[in-house]
Amino acid sequence: MSIMQYNGGSVIAMVGKDCVAIASDLRLGVQSLSISANYQKIFPITDRIYVGLPGLGTDVTTLHEQFRYRVNMYTIKEEREIEPQTFAQLVSSTLYERRFGPYFIEPVVAGMQKLPTGGFAPFIAATDLIGCLNFAKDFVVAGTASEKLFGVAEGLWEPDLEAEDLFETISQTLLNAVDRDAFSGWGAVVHVITKDKVVTRTLKGRMD
Amino acid sequence: MATGGGAYSYSLTVFSPSGKLVQIEHALAAVSQGTTSLGIKATNGIVIATEKKSSSILIDDSMIERVAVVCPNIGIVYSGMGPDFRLLVTKARKSAQAYWKIYGEYPPTKVLTQEIANIMQQATQSGGVRPYGVSLLVAGWDVTRGPTLYQVDPSGSFWAWKASAIGKNMVNAKTFLEKRYNDDISLEDAIHTALLTLKEGFEGQMTEKTIEIGVVTVPDPAELEAGKVEGTGRFKPTFRKLTEEEVRDYLSL
Amino acid sequence: MASPSVYNGSGFDFSNVTRNSFLEGRGLPLPKATSTGTTIVGCVYRDGIVLGADTRATEGPIVADKNCEKIHYIADNIRCCGAGTAADTEFTTALIASNMEMHALSTGRKPRVVTAMTMLKQMLFRYQGHIGAALVLGGVDATGPQLFTIHPHGSTDKLPYVTMGSGSLAAMAVFESGWKPDMSREEALALVAAAISAGIFNDLGSGSNVDACVITATQTDFLRGFVKPNERVEKERRYVFKRGTTAWKKEEIKNLVVSETVVGHGEQMDVS
Repeated sequence: MSIMQYNGGSVIAMVGKDCVAIASDLRLGVQSLSISANYQKIFPITDRIYVGLPGLGTDVTTLHEQFRYRVNMYTIKEEREIEPQTFAQLVSSTLYERRFGPYFIEPVVAGMQKLPTGGFAPFIAATDLIGCLNFAKDFVVAGTASEKLFGVAEGLWEPDLEAEDLFETISQTLLNAVDRDAFSGWGAVVHVITKDKVVTRTLKGRMD
Repeated sequence: MATGGGAYSYSLTVFSPSGKLVQIEHALAAVSQGTTSLGIKATNGIVIATEKKSSSILIDDSMIERVAVVCPNIGIVYSGMGPDFRLLVTKARKSAQAYWKIYGEYPPTKVLTQEIANIMQQATQSGGVRPYGVSLLVAGWDVTRGPTLYQVDPSGSFWAWKASAIGKNMVNAKTFLEKRYNDDISLEDAIHTALLTLKEGFEGQMTEKTIEIGVVTVPDPAELEAGKVEGTGRFKPTFRKLTEEEVRDYLSL
Repeated sequence: MASPSVYNGSGFDFSNVTRNSFLEGRGLPLPKATSTGTTIVGCVYRDGIVLGADTRATEGPIVADKNCEKIHYIADNIRCCGAGTAADTEFTTALIASNMEMHALSTGRKPRVVTAMTMLKQMLFRYQGHIGAALVLGGVDATGPQLFTIHPHGSTDKLPYVTMGSGSLAAMAVFESGWKPDMSREEALALVAAAISAGIFNDLGSGSNVDACVITATQTDFLRGFVKPNERVEKERRYVFKRGTTAWKKEEIKNLVVSETVVGHGEQMDVS
């Protein structure tokens, strides 16, 4: 078993029409023993940015604190909110700093990017545990169910889904993928971000 | 004691009884002996300009650089001591690159100005050093604040300006700018106003060899829409120095 | 003097190494980073350099990114293809691009390819191969067209046509049979596309599209998706779920637009 599987957990993010969604399971385990069915892996960074941190539980906490610190310092110093693209770069450089002693986390970023011309554009990105960014136009996945998530998402995702349809697509993708992963599941949470609101829904999942 | 400052004029980290740090005032005096530099903010850009005078015709003036590019969106000009400026430019460039390595974009003008100002401030309360003998005009464009022009002084204080002048002729130049400036001046007009202001009190012939100009151009909506240049991961530069040919063309108008 | 800047953090942080090797010792193997199995190539032609790359990124047997960019920017007249550990190629080229920009600003000259090559090999040698970047560096400078390969341990080659990555053998087979001196731009581009295609179709670590970059003395053309032999066909059916399919236990809506209504309160101010 790899360190990445020790606590279990998975995250997925998808792009829709003028919206993005990010979802995760809620399990925290120690190898095959499940400890919690309400373990938060997705954290708000600003109003319009969420980050998912699947991986080793101790590093979920450490990295979340570190990102909170760095983003707060940015906000104070620059007198502006960080944008998703910039935040993704910050995540990437933070992880690469520890290239030879990494955190066991594969972050997923989802948010609405403010455009210089006004308006917002959906943004998603994921990095590996040493900060190699992957900007995708469709969906990104990470965690113990990533292989299954890739498969299901590849089949279910399509472009220009409205917020409500995106919610169904990401929820079904996640629920069905984690049902085939022993280390993820036990409920799920979905955030759908549009330019003027964030809808957070807690889903029921199999408890086995 | 040699000069008016008395016992307080040497240790720069000690306040005089009247609340002054005399060395900082001496640094300002060094600045006001330097050649005149100025900056004007226009609606669609900024111009910074300076005299580039050499003390002898034997000097190869192509080597002198008084307007410097810090990063693709920010440039600076100075009045005062050349060597101090060179050092600050190197530090500013390093700071901009370090910022780029973290955030994948160049710093906003205000953040970079603050970085430079912090470096200058530290020289006013550290042991064994003297303050920087320069005032700077920092001009740049960023997506949050648009075009902005800052002045930084040896004390490390900085302000945003619509137009400002530093150096030998600053008082006259500022009066001139106050008369000439209006809020809807265009970049082209600003460049001409800059040249006219420099001409006031310019000793000798004003040619493309004896002045230097840098401009910030605000990207138009189409350029903003286009975003980063494909394959480079970078935006089109918004600050550049005018070539000698361009300066000559402006002078002949 | 204390550093006045928070942006001076440089170098690597090794503070997790002890913990990680302890975990490894307890039978929890360290995970793999994204690597770019990759086919990357470069060749010299009459007017300059053509670089080429596939666009697949892999994590073990999984295709992590189907259309990533492997031709990295170094300077306007210099580009660098990267194979190996994806994060290493990304950050190493970014670092050198940054150093080259500083160098160009302080010298006031257009940067040279050998300068970038020397910076890269010195850095990679310093890290004794632990930074897993295998690079193809090409560009045109004051000394003409230049093409190099740089291996993860810091050794370099200077050749008229080069290949790197897991698909390098397939690509080199194409170059060995098809390369000739003094090719035209079209010939060179076709040869590079054929070499990358050989990697895409014969090497499992490479796939998707061909990216190319043509560098001449006067301009650089980045041709993203130059050939797309693996376009996904449009789905014949839609798999959208009916709204309401997914049941939820709890819903929270955070409104980001704060609406405000001003309610009259107290006596009106006397403005007469």
